[in-house]
Amino acid sequence: MNRNLRPDASYQGSMNTQIEVSGLKKHYGRITALDGIDFTVREGELFGLLGPNGAGKTTTVKILLGLTRATAGEAKIAGLPVRDPESRRSVGYLPEGHKIPNYLTARQAMRIFGRMSGMNSADIEKRIPLLLERVRIPQWADVRVKKFSKGMTQRLGLACALIHSPRLLLLDEPTDGVDPVGRREIRDLLREEAKNGVAVLLNSHLLSEIELTCDRVAMLRKGKVAAFGTVEELTRKQATYKMVATPIDDSLVASFRESGAGVERVNGHVVLSVADVQHLNALVDKLRASGGMLNELTPVRSTLEDVFVDLIKAPDAEVNPK
Amino acid sequence: MKALVANIEDVFREAAARWTLVAYFFLSTLFIIIFASAVNLDIVNGALAGAKLFGKQVEMRNNEISIEKLVLGFESGFSVILYFICTFLAVFATAHLVPRMQDKGTVDLYLSRPVSRVGLLMSRYGAGLLLAGSNVVYLIGTIWAIVAWKTGVTHGRFLAAGLIIMFVIATLMAFAFLVGVITSSTAVSIMTTYGIFFFGLMLAAHDKIAAAVSKQWQANLIETLYWVFPKTAELGQSVVAFVGGEAIPERIASALSPQPFLTTAAFAVGCLVLASWLFTRKEF
Repeated sequence: MNRNLRPDASYQGSMNTQIEVSGLKKHYGRITALDGIDFTVREGELFGLLGPNGAGKTTTVKILLGLTRATAGEAKIAGLPVRDPESRRSVGYLPEGHKIPNYLTARQAMRIFGRMSGMNSADIEKRIPLLLERVRIPQWADVRVKKFSKGMTQRLGLACALIHSPRLLLLDEPTDGVDPVGRREIRDLLREEAKNGVAVLLNSHLLSEIELTCDRVAMLRKGKVAAFGTVEELTRKQATYKMVATPIDDSLVASFRESGAGVERVNGHVVLSVADVQHLNALVDKLRASGGMLNELTPVRSTLEDVFVDLIKAPDAEVNPK
Repeated sequence: MKALVANIEDVFREAAARWTLVAYFFLSTLFIIIFASAVNLDIVNGALAGAKLFGKQVEMRNNEISIEKLVLGFESGFSVILYFICTFLAVFATAHLVPRMQDKGTVDLYLSRPVSRVGLLMSRYGAGLLLAGSNVVYLIGTIWAIVAWKTGVTHGRFLAAGLIIMFVIATLMAFAFLVGVITSSTAVSIMTTYGIFFFGLMLAAHDKIAAAVSKQWQANLIETLYWVFPKTAELGQSVVAFVGGEAIPERIASALSPQPFLTTAAFAVGCLVLASWLFTRKEF
């Protein structure tokens, strides 16, 4: 694995950083859940946290919320250490499998969680209809949660997380149980929040969701950040390019191979595996020298799922932590 | 303060939705109805001509018993029953407050808000006290009003006895909260709290028990437990003594000494401090 994409150092300590995690470790007895992870999440950023079961995603989120304590390292939210309850004033959280008390109506639940976030009654009453409209359940405002479907409960959970206009959203499987249309609506809502400067940390197993939603991604494996970067960076197959050109005859392919490149003909174009960018340019020079016309040269991308599976299957030594 | 208001709303809505509130006030109302129908006074020209308590004729001895004295007598007697009913119902109605809050998926929602864990626990405790207090006020207040309506006698001490009952409820709730934090189990919270209530009653005879045991360390243990645990027997007697005032025999009146109050308060504070500390340390 060569996805040596380190958490960008330029983000560290910047004014608009919402989450700063450095050297975070967590041990449960002899089990290491987190083994020194670092990352930052900025305002307006949609950040995905990925990893197989037991990789440390939930532990990371729990430490950020003060639900559990780190064994070592530091985690800050909006510049405040997470042990300070004030750090949660600007945080909206949607836990996985959350249980909003089912004896409450949607309105009552939002009222209670709004108050607990320090809001006054007038502001809460103003926000409730707006948010229920945004999550598309306005007609369910005065129905008890126990009557809600899973998808509706999830939408309400999101509304509760947003009630106090947080600057940071921590979402654990936010589209769990939501239909495809609903998922798109939630994605749009998250993008809208990000556009307004809200930082979003998305913890999900749905890789396609992360791929469609997030700007940057950290992949955790065995308590370490195994890969980090933008979705584009992570899904680009290193040194593999699709070349569409005319003509690419057999002699040209043979000369490419002689230079050490891997060449595969696919549906009228070739896929080139090269050593580096210089090597690629040399192949382009060969094409031009043979009178060929370059129509398209693009890096070949894999899906986030491919990257994820490769990362999980790779032996420990091949994984490039941090 | 906003967290307290939120918790009060949450606790009362849960009590209403789960029928706890209805059951709580239904049982109290039942008791009030029984009381109202059991007390029959025959008052002629403002004087007591005859009285029946639970169907039994009260011996008037040529009108020697004044209505004031009679009311004081059954109010102080009734206060013991109220002491038991109020505390038992309160434990039932509030023991779930911490275990339910600690449910996976629920606790995260509460703890992700900008409220300290101690603040959250204490606001839950305050909300529980308000729930129990509302029933104490309803039960004692209604009985006091019925007595006042039937006899014209109004004893403020009977109403004020509710404060002592609330003190015991606050102590038992503190213990239930401690057990709730440790075990996250409503059933265990209820069982152990009732256990400590009855243990406190038994330990009132600590002198006799200590004298009866064969070994010194056992006697020391009994004495230690007596001093540590809430004095539920003495506090029950103090309710009677407080309501009865000077009309109460010396043996019961002595229960109003500060010792049971101080040691029980220390137990309650200890439970709350320990519960807060453990809740703060707890990982979810």
